[in-house]
Amino acid sequence: MKLEITDCKGIKMIALSGEVDMYTSPELREEMMNLIRRRTSPLFVDFSGVSYIDSSGIATFVEGLKGIMSYNGKLKLVGIPDRIMEIFNFSKLDRVFEMYGSIDDALNSLNSF
Amino acid sequence: MSDRPAISVDETYLEGIEKKVEDLKMIMEVSVIISSTLDFNELVTVVMEKAKKVMDAEACSILFYNKDTNKLEFEVALCKEESASEILKKTVTLDIGQGIAGWVAENLQPLVITDVKADKRFYQAADKQTGFVTKSIIAVPLVGRSGLIGVAEIINPKNKDFFSEYDSGIFQTLCRGVAIAIENARFHKESIEREKLRQELEIASSIQRSFLPESPTFHKNNITVSAINISAKHVGGDIYDFIEPSEDKVGVFIGDVSGKGISAALYMAKIISDLRYTSLGIDSPDVVMKRLNSNLSNAPRGMFLTATYIIADTVKGSLSIAVAGHPPFFLIGKGEVRVMDLPSGPPLGIMPVEYPVTMLELDKGDRILLLTDGAFDAKNKNGERIGFDSIARFVKSQSNRESLIQAVVDHVNDFSKGTERADDLTLVELRFDGAV
Repeated sequence: MKLEITDCKGIKMIALSGEVDMYTSPELREEMMNLIRRRTSPLFVDFSGVSYIDSSGIATFVEGLKGIMSYNGKLKLVGIPDRIMEIFNFSKLDRVFEMYGSIDDALNSLNSF
Repeated sequence: MSDRPAISVDETYLEGIEKKVEDLKMIMEVSVIISSTLDFNELVTVVMEKAKKVMDAEACSILFYNKDTNKLEFEVALCKEESASEILKKTVTLDIGQGIAGWVAENLQPLVITDVKADKRFYQAADKQTGFVTKSIIAVPLVGRSGLIGVAEIINPKNKDFFSEYDSGIFQTLCRGVAIAIENARFHKESIEREKLRQELEIASSIQRSFLPESPTFHKNNITVSAINISAKHVGGDIYDFIEPSEDKVGVFIGDVSGKGISAALYMAKIISDLRYTSLGIDSPDVVMKRLNSNLSNAPRGMFLTATYIIADTVKGSLSIAVAGHPPFFLIGKGEVRVMDLPSGPPLGIMPVEYPVTMLELDKGDRILLLTDGAFDAKNKNGERIGFDSIARFVKSQSNRESLIQAVVDHVNDFSKGTERADDLTLVELRFDGAV
């Protein structure tokens, strides 16, 4: 897994690639929880380079989501590849997370009520 | 009288040869020590004691490179004053590039310094804190297969004013052996720790199994339920349970905790206790799911549970079913196999929601086959996943088999032959034999 934190038009974004699993998710957790401790919102996560995610990886995002919701913040997952989307859909996690096809879609969602 | 010409030998030359022989003997002795022990602390101290003695030095030390902090820390410091050694170990750390040891670590080259006072790289604070006076020093990088291990130093020769290049050569030879020995001892320590972890996982796995029903089969009136649970190497968090919430009813629960290892096993144990408590006297699976969801809302580290809970009337064969993000199940009957992807809520422990209920009437001979993702996420030697659709096709082709769960287990095992089981595998089969 590769992880990069970038600024996308003033919004913090975690860009992920590779496998997000029980071995790599601790690094993701540390970086994401650091941003959440600073009450970052909205927080975008770019999934476009992710090739695999297991339940440990998903649990990391559940923890992140719960943390962000505690201060009414927003976590937005963007660019989820089809194979990863199947995993989210299969577990009905598409009802849990806010998901957008592209960064622009996620940005537009900030302007609409 | 011999015809041979007399050879005159210089005494200093002889002394030099003697010294070299002594040094070689010492290097051989150290090699024996290095290959005879894997005790990390003993090895490093013994070797450095030996080096200090043979090189007739006032002090010597080893600093280890700490990858996490990117600093050098004193591991061994041998000198006359024990207090100085303690001060070094407790209070002195060096950045890479700082001091002589820091320079050696940065450049991965040995240094011989005849007079440290004249060398700007020397870090005076260590001497000030310990009261020790460093005059001449040899510092050598300890490098193993995985990179920098640390820096070894030998300080102040007792019988002369400063160390020579020859001394440096001897110390470097010693340090090559020390680096290998440290690395071997570290690998040994890691393998012991890995073995300990493996044993702990085995214990976690047996604790996990002890929470499952004592018997993998349950029979009441016209309903028979049977289950198979196989633990993965890393221990997943699969759950199944048979509950009798009220007379003539049986609750069949299957679930999968996110993550693997001891945390998943422990959490599974908590969930099964919560389930048994919350399901007592309740005939509606959605109510049980809602309570369980609330109980699990403070799950550590975002842990969650996908689950399906079926409450079956053991006389009539009517089922009420609630699903929380769990994979679909199969309904086998009347010569066909249907994939039952029912209305479902998200997994338990994430957010407060209502779970929909689906009612289903079974006919005589109908069977339900529930599974966890360990069945369809299994991989073969080439890393290819078996997939849900392939399991569905297999179930359809085997729908006449007496024990479908065993057939599926055999199929998954065949597919993933020669690989380690990555996830728990749980299958539950419920059969309705019709009203008597």
